Amino acid sequence: MQTFFHLNNKACNLKKGAFKAVIHIDYTKHVKRQHNLHLRKFLPKHSNSLGGCQMVKRNKFSFMLVAVMMVLSLITAACGNNSNNSSNNKPSNKPDNSASNNAGEATEAPKKNVTLTYAIWDKIQQPAMEAIATEFTAQNPNIKVKVEVIPWGDYWTKMSAAAPAGTLPDVFWMHGGQFATYASGKFLEPITSKVEAGEIDLNNYAANLASIYTLNGENYGIPKDFDTIGLAYNKELFDQAGIAYPDDTWTYAKLAEVAKQLSQPDKGIYGFGAKMDTQTGYWNDILANGGKIIADDMSKSGYDDPASIEALQARYQMTVDGASPTHQQMTDMEATEMFKSGKLAMIFDGSWRISDIDSSDIIKGKWDWAKLPMGKVKRANIINGLGNVMAASGKNKEEAWQFLKFLGSQKAAEITAQMGAAIPAFNGTQDAWLTSRPYLNLKVFTEQVGDATPYPSGSMAYPVWFAKEPEIMSQAWGGAISVEEAAKKVAEMMNQAIADTK
Amino acid sequence: MNSRSKYVWAYFMIAPTLIGTLVFWGWPVVQSILLGFQHSSNFGTVNHWVGFDNYVKLVHDQEFWQNLRNTLLYVAMFVPVTLVLSTLFAVLLNTKVKGVSLYRVIFFLPQVTMPAAAAMVWVVLFAKDFGLINHLLGTHVAWLSNGNYAMIVLVIVGVWGAIGMNMLLVLAGLQGIPKSLYEAADIDGAKRFNKFRFITIPMLTPTLFFTSIILLIGATQIFDSIYLIIGKTNVALPSVRSLVYAYYQNSFIYNDRNYGASIINVLLMINLALTGIQFAFQKKWVYYD
Repeated sequence: MQTFFHLNNKACNLKKGAFKAVIHIDYTKHVKRQHNLHLRKFLPKHSNSLGGCQMVKRNKFSFMLVAVMMVLSLITAACGNNSNNSSNNKPSNKPDNSASNNAGEATEAPKKNVTLTYAIWDKIQQPAMEAIATEFTAQNPNIKVKVEVIPWGDYWTKMSAAAPAGTLPDVFWMHGGQFATYASGKFLEPITSKVEAGEIDLNNYAANLASIYTLNGENYGIPKDFDTIGLAYNKELFDQAGIAYPDDTWTYAKLAEVAKQLSQPDKGIYGFGAKMDTQTGYWNDILANGGKIIADDMSKSGYDDPASIEALQARYQMTVDGASPTHQQMTDMEATEMFKSGKLAMIFDGSWRISDIDSSDIIKGKWDWAKLPMGKVKRANIINGLGNVMAASGKNKEEAWQFLKFLGSQKAAEITAQMGAAIPAFNGTQDAWLTSRPYLNLKVFTEQVGDATPYPSGSMAYPVWFAKEPEIMSQAWGGAISVEEAAKKVAEMMNQAIADTK
Repeated sequence: MNSRSKYVWAYFMIAPTLIGTLVFWGWPVVQSILLGFQHSSNFGTVNHWVGFDNYVKLVHDQEFWQNLRNTLLYVAMFVPVTLVLSTLFAVLLNTKVKGVSLYRVIFFLPQVTMPAAAAMVWVVLFAKDFGLINHLLGTHVAWLSNGNYAMIVLVIVGVWGAIGMNMLLVLAGLQGIPKSLYEAADIDGAKRFNKFRFITIPMLTPTLFFTSIILLIGATQIFDSIYLIIGKTNVALPSVRSLVYAYYQNSFIYNDRNYGASIINVLLMINLALTGIQFAFQKKWVYYD
């Protein structure tokens, strides 16, 4: 008690000192009397004089109150942590392997309750992923899965911060372009031993998709789905103009011609959304025109190929001709959103956007899919496949593996297919996807697999150049530099990135 | 009580702030400086020392000089305008007008508005085809996608957001000026302007000095309005991109933390230099009684 009082006294003295300091700084020496009056306003009405007894008491009290609250909040925070640990995770003082042994050998032993985080970037697929998670929890009641959606724009930013910090989600979506960086940094848990033990058969997945997630002979990911690109069109706008719907015979020239006929800029209606985009945009044009995005061995950019430049120019020209909204318009409102609101007659889009587009009440029942048009050289398409991977830093790897395995199962593929979320990679389940929306011509997506070129992401340079590419191209789409100049700049930048990461 | 235990107690009292500052500010600064001399891979888990390589690259990077010019241009427009307008409004709001507290609230509102929400409103206001500002002015200007206008938009939005706080600081400074000085001036028959010029301004200089330093440091770090109002696919981005935006781009989009760190270290040096200059010149104009 003695020290206690002593402390208070000190605090009190300090407070007085602080007040003196305030007086010294804020108030000039000229008129002391007025300062006092001024200061008085801030004091409790009944305080008789500055630094008087009552004020001292008051300060003592409030100081103690603050101190007590600080201590309390510290204690409660610590308590909160403790209780969390004991209920959700294993007790932190137990070694990791004891827990995984439990789950591995003795299935009879009471299982600990675990909550896994499953990170995805597509909000549209969230319901399907949650349905899979619910099904998984039904089979494994001790494991709950929290599906976390991080939009594509922030996804890799967050993951690149989480990877070195050891806070990657237990299980998450992986993209071919980012895979090498994460796998070579040992942030992903290899699943080779599980594959060899026969826990999962990678031959179950279409088009050798599992090879995307292999590095130096180690397997890291299980294919989730694949996607191709289609031409979505608004039937109503075609009917009004009396033009036949797009079909297999269409060429890029025909697309440009019809787009012009369908455009009514005064009404804000345009024939085609010639958006500045890679996978659902000019990469298809470039390939169809005989150009290249990148050399097959990823050693050199193809953007400066004359055929590539020609394809880019043709697309940009549509934004100038009024056959397409301008770049600024498509920056203000995404082209797909324009299509959803009935303002666009045609657009290229990926199979992963089907349920999103179909959710629009404005064009529901009035739109369909066709194959991409034929280019000068061929009909082209970009195929990409996502994979599910698990973090090397996860605290509940055994449970994460159980969930990862389930994500690669036929059951999960069927849920994906039935909910129309994406074309599942699991062989034999794609048919369920084709009938998920019988009123839409979904077979264009599976039929075009034969025309398709894999998404050009299999190099360490990809994440670098892919991040810089839109910035240069937007200069061309915004009209600041010519398309040719931009394409050459992109090529130079890509070649530099390839050289830097060698 | 001896003075020593007094100091121990004082340091104990500031410990929460001190520790917070060292951990969340001091340590990152040290790390940034180190990163600038390294080459990192695998998200910074493997680092090699590369000496001044990043800075050599920086000096030869046209984009860096453009970003530096953009940042300085913004500072040169934003700081004086904010300072003058904040002082003006503070003086006006320091008079006895009816509903003066209402006006104070109105001017302070931007300070408590969510920056992202405010930015969205500004984007709509400045929109080319349907924006209110083009409508009122009877113009058809691409405010947001023309480099020259985009910078002006950023300055306008910045000033709008900054006036509230700085006005409050100046207002506090104004109210600290002893009334007796004005009374004395009244007795001497001073005119209103002269009272402003020879009493208010000199007595306000310490506040203005403080405000200008804070504003300057804040302005060199402009990022959020570029990110929210201009956006990364805007054709005007190169003509408004600031050093901090370039830092963000390099560090978090291109994943080149080292180059990003070197950019931010240059900014740190610039800020230290500018603040140093201000302190050196304060003797010329700041009046401490």
